[in-house]
Amino acid sequence: MRRSELMRSSFLECPARARAAGLVDEGTFTELAGPLDRLTSPHLPALGEAVAFDDGIAAGVGLIGNRPVFVLSQEGRFIGGAVGEVHGAKMVGAFRLALAAYEKALRRHPEDLEEYRPAVVISFETGGVRLHEANAGLLAHAEVMDQIQDCRGRVPVIAVIGSKVGCFGGMGFVAAAADAVVMSSQGRLGLTGPEVIEQEMGKEEFDASDKSLISRTTGGRHKYILGDCNVLCEDRVGDFYQSLRDLLSLPYEELCRCRRIGTYSLVQEQMALTALAAELNPSDARDVWRYCGNADPEGLTELETGEFLRTARRRAREVS
Amino acid sequence: MEQSMIGRGRDAVEMIADPGSFAENRVGEHTFDPDYGPGAVVGTAALDGRPATVIANDAQAVNPRFPVVYFGVIGMEEAYKMAGAVYETLAADADKPVAEKRPIVLIVDTPGNAPGKVEEIFGMNKATGAYQLALAQARKEGHAVVAMVIGRAISGAFLCHGLQADHILALPKEYGTVIHVMPLSSISRITKMDVERLEELSARSPVFASGVEFFYRLGGVEEIVPSPKEMGRAVRAHAAQIRALKAAGKFEETGPWGRGELGRVRGGRTARAAVLERMEEEFSQVSGRYLR
Repeated sequence: MRRSELMRSSFLECPARARAAGLVDEGTFTELAGPLDRLTSPHLPALGEAVAFDDGIAAGVGLIGNRPVFVLSQEGRFIGGAVGEVHGAKMVGAFRLALAAYEKALRRHPEDLEEYRPAVVISFETGGVRLHEANAGLLAHAEVMDQIQDCRGRVPVIAVIGSKVGCFGGMGFVAAAADAVVMSSQGRLGLTGPEVIEQEMGKEEFDASDKSLISRTTGGRHKYILGDCNVLCEDRVGDFYQSLRDLLSLPYEELCRCRRIGTYSLVQEQMALTALAAELNPSDARDVWRYCGNADPEGLTELETGEFLRTARRRAREVS
Repeated sequence: MEQSMIGRGRDAVEMIADPGSFAENRVGEHTFDPDYGPGAVVGTAALDGRPATVIANDAQAVNPRFPVVYFGVIGMEEAYKMAGAVYETLAADADKPVAEKRPIVLIVDTPGNAPGKVEEIFGMNKATGAYQLALAQARKEGHAVVAMVIGRAISGAFLCHGLQADHILALPKEYGTVIHVMPLSSISRITKMDVERLEELSARSPVFASGVEFFYRLGGVEEIVPSPKEMGRAVRAHAAQIRALKAAGKFEETGPWGRGELGRVRGGRTARAAVLERMEEEFSQVSGRYLR
């Protein structure tokens, strides 16, 4: 596919490898531990399951300007993008390389570090742990969180969410731990997926067949109003790419102000939000939109993304 | 079956800490609101006369504001309260050298993170993520973080309350201890494989089966502690060992990264190391293009 065509295409439908290439400058993406290496899951064959040569993730490196960008792009078409041992190790490996690259950039470019500071970008499409190798998947999640903490003060981490499966399970908190979150209206983010809530708590708690309810609860627009998504963009690969460029052009300190968690003052802000949750006890995300100053929450869902961005009132942040 | 510790988080605090030393809701200079996050027990106890922060689950508590939070479930308030206890610990020892920073002891008995609509609207993912980042920071700043699994250590709740520790200890399965993502019956339903077949396979492959001994083989548990009366000894010994490693600058021998290496040594997780090595090798061949 030509670059211009890729940039115009829908992010929602875009396969992981093309997404990874599209999120960095043209022609700069190099995959690492890619399908030719055939690093497949050693655990799936024992269960009689098919393997994928990339274990459901494209990991690699590209450039945005002079900045090396380590990209992880999950493929929902393979076991829902779920994280097994190999898949998880690729995530950890990309962070390790980014942290080592940071040490180099620090030595080589002490004066203009901002231009050369490496970044990690994760394009999520996953339900979290892969049940066929659940224990290894769980341990991999803990390692990724450990790496994110290592990145603090050094390497920006950006979450990109706009693919079919969304970002759920343990990967939901990995995304929350990123410095900045970019979503499209079609993006879905949460911890416990709608089907799991329905299964555990019943249809009265959450009707997982109600697509509109899922969209309002976990979708990009709700997360944008609440402040859990920093940048809301159109469902085009080029728009996600441009959003990344814009975020990375900010001074690092300013980019870090997008964070929701990771310091005591941010946790205290979230504690205040739990008090609001208890007080409002919303039966629907629209109650929160109304609380944030949106007089016509029903109308918000109908708007084009551009119009939504001009109209929607967001929750006021308490931490600067 | 020996007498289980499930639902007995507070008893475990008393069994591990110096007798009568636990001051609940007090960490450093801060006093926590006892009504906030009732499913989380936080406070300061003494281990051989020295202070330690203790974070445990209370399976008897019910959160009146969030009905899906009971029986040890970690809800939004609980997770933020636990994170708060970690940040107060960091503040209390901010000026102390690594060798004098107080340990953080996690007593783990939780069936999961809160699965509710309000939780998803306000972002339960942030709450569990916040607690993990706080623990990872504490570990990296030199606090010894020891997790003691006394009952249920399930999925995302174990990820936030346990898997960021330096060392993880667990009672054996005879005490009813459960470590897993979900039971084989649920895995069977989702993967559409027979439970009998899964049980048979799980005898050979530790990667999806439920159980403490499988986590041990994967490097996910450092030590299986034979009985509850030995928990106090084990927690103290591991805290001392971790403190010594950190004083020597060996921060990567513990925590999630250290357990990755342990999984290779114990033979349960060998693909991980091969992937990491291959990525490094392939990047070194092209790094000139990227590291300008």
